[in-house]
Amino acid sequence: MLKKIKSNRSVPRKLVVRTNSNSVITEQYRTIRSNINFSLPSEDMKTILFTSPSKEEGKSTTSSNMAIVYAESGKRVLLVDADMRRPTLHHTFKMSNRLGLSNLLIKKGRLQDTVKKSGIPGLDLLMCGQIPANPAELLDSEAMDGLMNLMKEKYDLIIFDSPPILAVTDSKILANKCDGTVLVVNTGKTEKENVIKARDALTTAKAFIIGTVLNNYQVSKKDDYYQSYTS
Amino acid sequence: MESTFNIKETLRNFKRRLPMILIMTLLFIVLSGVVSYTLMKPIYQASTQILINQNGSTAEFNTQNIDANIQLISTYNVIIKSPAILSGVIEELKLNETVKTLNEQITVSSTEDSQVVTIDVEDPSMERAVLIANTTASVFKEEIQNLMKVDNVNILAAAEMPVTPEPIKPDPLLNMAIGAVVGFMLGAGLSILLDQLNTTIRTEEDIEEIPGLQVLGIVSPVKDDKKAKKPSVYIQKREMMENVEKDKIQSVSTTKIGGTY
Repeated sequence: MLKKIKSNRSVPRKLVVRTNSNSVITEQYRTIRSNINFSLPSEDMKTILFTSPSKEEGKSTTSSNMAIVYAESGKRVLLVDADMRRPTLHHTFKMSNRLGLSNLLIKKGRLQDTVKKSGIPGLDLLMCGQIPANPAELLDSEAMDGLMNLMKEKYDLIIFDSPPILAVTDSKILANKCDGTVLVVNTGKTEKENVIKARDALTTAKAFIIGTVLNNYQVSKKDDYYQSYTS
Repeated sequence: MESTFNIKETLRNFKRRLPMILIMTLLFIVLSGVVSYTLMKPIYQASTQILINQNGSTAEFNTQNIDANIQLISTYNVIIKSPAILSGVIEELKLNETVKTLNEQITVSSTEDSQVVTIDVEDPSMERAVLIANTTASVFKEEIQNLMKVDNVNILAAAEMPVTPEPIKPDPLLNMAIGAVVGFMLGAGLSILLDQLNTTIRTEEDIEEIPGLQVLGIVSPVKDDKKAKKPSVYIQKREMMENVEKDKIQSVSTTKIGGTY
């Protein structure tokens, strides 16, 4: 257990979609992409938030991989690390976290200078930046609203990676501002009760819950019908 | 908590926890085997058969006679285990036991509608069991003459000391079979308990039960094939970040991305 937590902090998130574009898991992310598209009520929904009830359930992994899958589909995607408590996006893409969202929110620098090219066509990244003392206030500010409008002008889709919803209030603020929220749930680890609490928290924040992603789901060999198609 | 008890779900749960159930079963088999071979003292059994017969002048074989004998046998069965006989046995063999403990060692039985009475003696020592069985029979044979003024008891088959005594108790095989059943049931019970205690989300249905949520998709666990490689790459990177100037980081990281992915 201890070992697991330790490794989770230091090891970068796995970009399966990037490393193996034919894998079963990539196909699963593509399925989620399609399902999100089907679930969205209108075409002009541009901001999607990824959150989870508790920590280490796969928000960052899911949002990063989803961003790549969306970029693959020809959209201009911006992936924002809005987890200003424990940012991970710079680890995942192995980049510097010197400039990012926090700098933009205190009105230092411009969006076009701060975003970084991911190396994947169509996908730009916005790191967290220096960890601020008051993330919730920053996210709730007018600067954030302005920034989101600016993002919507420049990109087709903005994906936010956020802190756990039951731990801090940041995600509720973001969920309220975003067009849709996806709840990431870790199979066999997330308590059912916490999922219900998270749903209630999102409902209170007047967020639109698109649905949930079951992470770490061990598909039994019997009903694994993807496998025969792709491998 | 849901009160529905789903058989299919339970079976699936058993299948998943099969190793645990099997281990529990094996553990109990081994445990009961070890206990019955080492800890439990073997008990031996010796038996003497006596024939009770109304002898004398009226020794004609008619049904009435035999019926009377059989009724007599019931009486004798009680007499054999009475303190009158048993204290005689203790005295003769100079045993340390009381009448009560000896009484527990001896079983008297007679086959239905027959005149043969079997005295079974159980003892940790085969030799002593034989001795007690035979002495009981002979003491009874003598005492009955005083008690009932008849001499109608004959020893039919005296207990004999076998060359290789086989203990009747414990029966390791039976114990192990019981151990297997107990172990299996404990394992199954434990797996049900663990399943009930686990309130995490495990299937898509668990989410679908929560109103307002739908499953968009599933993601399988990523198989870690570069386990050893990744952390070290990251550590090198971090060390670099601290020393190298910030303008250079940009170029380093872009080449890194091209290189590693």
